[in-house]
Amino acid sequence: MTVFHFFNCAILTFGPHAVYYSATPLSEYDTVGTSVKAAVVYLATALVKLVCLATFLKVPENDNFDPYQELLKAMIGFIDVAGLYFALTQLTHRNISQNHKFQAVGLGWAFADSVLHRLAPLWLGARGLEFTWEYILQGLEANANLVLNLSLAALGSLMWLRKNKPKTLVPIIYAFAGILATMPSITSYLSRGLGWNFPEVVGFELISSLVMAFFSWQLFSACQKPST
Amino acid sequence: MAARRRAGREEVLDSIYIIVAQVLILVACVELCDAASVVDVYRLIQYDLSGAPLGSRLAGLNHHAGAAPFASGADLSRTAVIMPIRELNLTFLRDYITNRRPLGGLLLLLPQKSNEKIVEEIKKLGIDNKEAVMRNILVELEQLLIHANIPYPVYFAFEDDKINAALADVRKSDMATQPATATTGGYKLVVSSPEPKKLVSPTLTNIQGWLSGLKGEGDTNQLPTIAIVASYDTFGASPALSVGSDSNGSGVVALLEIARLFSRLYSNPKTRGKYNLLFGLTSGGPYNYNGTLKWLRSSDQRLRESIDYAICLNGIGSWNNELWMHVSKPPENAYVKQVYDGLSSVAKEMGIVIGIKHKKINISNPRVAWEHEQFSRLRVTAMTLSELSSPPEFLESTGGLYDTRSFVDETAIYRSVKLVAESLARHIYGHDGRNIQIFADNSSLAVNPSYINSWLDLLSMTPRVAPFLSKTDPLISALRKELSGHTDEVRVQHESLDGMFTFYDVTRARLNIYQVASVTFDFLLLLVLGSYLILLFSFLVITTRGLDDLINIFRRPPSRKVKGA
Repeated sequence: MTVFHFFNCAILTFGPHAVYYSATPLSEYDTVGTSVKAAVVYLATALVKLVCLATFLKVPENDNFDPYQELLKAMIGFIDVAGLYFALTQLTHRNISQNHKFQAVGLGWAFADSVLHRLAPLWLGARGLEFTWEYILQGLEANANLVLNLSLAALGSLMWLRKNKPKTLVPIIYAFAGILATMPSITSYLSRGLGWNFPEVVGFELISSLVMAFFSWQLFSACQKPST
Repeated sequence: MAARRRAGREEVLDSIYIIVAQVLILVACVELCDAASVVDVYRLIQYDLSGAPLGSRLAGLNHHAGAAPFASGADLSRTAVIMPIRELNLTFLRDYITNRRPLGGLLLLLPQKSNEKIVEEIKKLGIDNKEAVMRNILVELEQLLIHANIPYPVYFAFEDDKINAALADVRKSDMATQPATATTGGYKLVVSSPEPKKLVSPTLTNIQGWLSGLKGEGDTNQLPTIAIVASYDTFGASPALSVGSDSNGSGVVALLEIARLFSRLYSNPKTRGKYNLLFGLTSGGPYNYNGTLKWLRSSDQRLRESIDYAICLNGIGSWNNELWMHVSKPPENAYVKQVYDGLSSVAKEMGIVIGIKHKKINISNPRVAWEHEQFSRLRVTAMTLSELSSPPEFLESTGGLYDTRSFVDETAIYRSVKLVAESLARHIYGHDGRNIQIFADNSSLAVNPSYINSWLDLLSMTPRVAPFLSKTDPLISALRKELSGHTDEVRVQHESLDGMFTFYDVTRARLNIYQVASVTFDFLLLLVLGSYLILLFSFLVITTRGLDDLINIFRRPPSRKVKGA
């Protein structure tokens, strides 16, 4: 019965990634290689981030929200963006369209993130006898994360790969990319600075990810128009 | 046309109701989640009595919680039944135990321990109220449990907020639906405990203290001895909860205080009497005074012959105005008469009534109801002072669940001490029948109520079931030390308990209360997740490839499979 629960939570956490891959044209163009490369880059980025966090951050003595430390953390969070930049521009991909490239990279990125951050707690916790909503919420959070990462990758591909985009949209793209990149810091602020509960934070993440995905989509299609 | 529209509207309303109901169910589910809680539980005793298995035979528990009332004929063999003693349905329990109907487990909730307020209220209202009823229920329950062979784990716990919250939840869900099974979720009670093992050679520890009297000059005869004896161990439904404040904590406290009083008199050669005093704290009381028997058998024959008489103290902590002296020799016997006269003359001054009860010993009967009977069997004159007017049955009044501090009146012990010490002193110093107060209040030899209180409190916190007390138990060393402070010579004697009893360990454990989701919930969740993924899939296919592609996928599943591979 508890294994059943674990199975459910795992479906919720990792299912959307698989569905996304098989439902979109990604599967038709066989972009697994790109996703795997992105995942490897994510791992390397995570390692660098870890080293930076360990070097520059003090060990928090209590659970309070320390603005300076959080700012530093947000700065370190931008290493993610650098990693994404690397994955999008520097890696040699098989000849796939930019359209699919950013999706594959975002997918690989989000999947690696989910595996790294959620698989172990899930395995240890969700099989326990005690029932909590935590792992279901965590699965929802993974979904929100997937959407956020895809949006970020989309905006990243707009920023770095697309040359002929409307000039008026450039600052908006950068602003949205900035918001997306600081999203982890915002949620951390909500849960620790404002003391939101986990369900509320997850709700916020879900809604914000959908909103951001909508805007990114609009921006992406707006940039698409002149080229087609 | 209008009718159709109305039907349509009804359909819409129906669907709204369904959605509202679903939301409510979801909200109800959200309320349920707390973390696992852990509580201390105390296991029902497990023992074999001459080979017959008795008590709870299992320790491990892993079942869903259920609470009364149950539907008649419900199968409870996979339910851990939670029963608060406050509202115990004894007939239900008796029915289940005597008919040997299976339960998954039983958790009995005792009311909060040492609730000062309740104790004060009892004293105001007198004993004749709810708490006394509770006491009777506990007595009955205890007798029921210890004389039955129960093939499932039985635990005691004290009511606290965590358990009460769980119990309320269990009740609520039981009320709403059918009894808890694997499909309705609820709580799971888990005690992971090793298989109980037999205790190897349980020991009985007797402690004896000796105050020697002063021989007169040129007196070559051996001085006579007076013995004061109390058994200190207990027996009850739960070994970890059998503190026995009255049986026989009160006797032990009285013995210690009498020893203290006479040690003050005997420390000065001028006031040392012509009697030796022997103080005996014996073990094995509940098992026909097995420890007393061993102690007497192993003691020196000359010592035994020098004993004029022995006074055993047993249960003297909750009497009002009447105390009983139990003897097995006829009351006309010189020593018995002398002791009884001595006691009753002091009692008259104190306004107490002392009754005398004569019960002959039947040597062929293995049952020894009173401690003095062990002395009498060895032809030593002895009597027991007790508040009980009739001999207790085997394993009855041995300091079980109900016998807690709140039911013991320390003034009763105070008066008992005064009664015994005063009459003894008058006899020792030859003032029989005269109204001379040796231990007068406010004198330096007065009975000390705070000494009595502190020892009573200590004993009321310490479970003392002999097989679970090791030779070096802190309580035993504390008693030894205390007695050695009052007497000249202290001897500790370890004996093994006679083979009729076998005890098993695991007297206390930790109970995990888990909130569990039902299988139905997991099925529903799987359905929801499945439909979510299917929706997501369709949405993605439609947005990225168009509706036609989606339809094509379903139209040609084989080709899809090939592509996927």
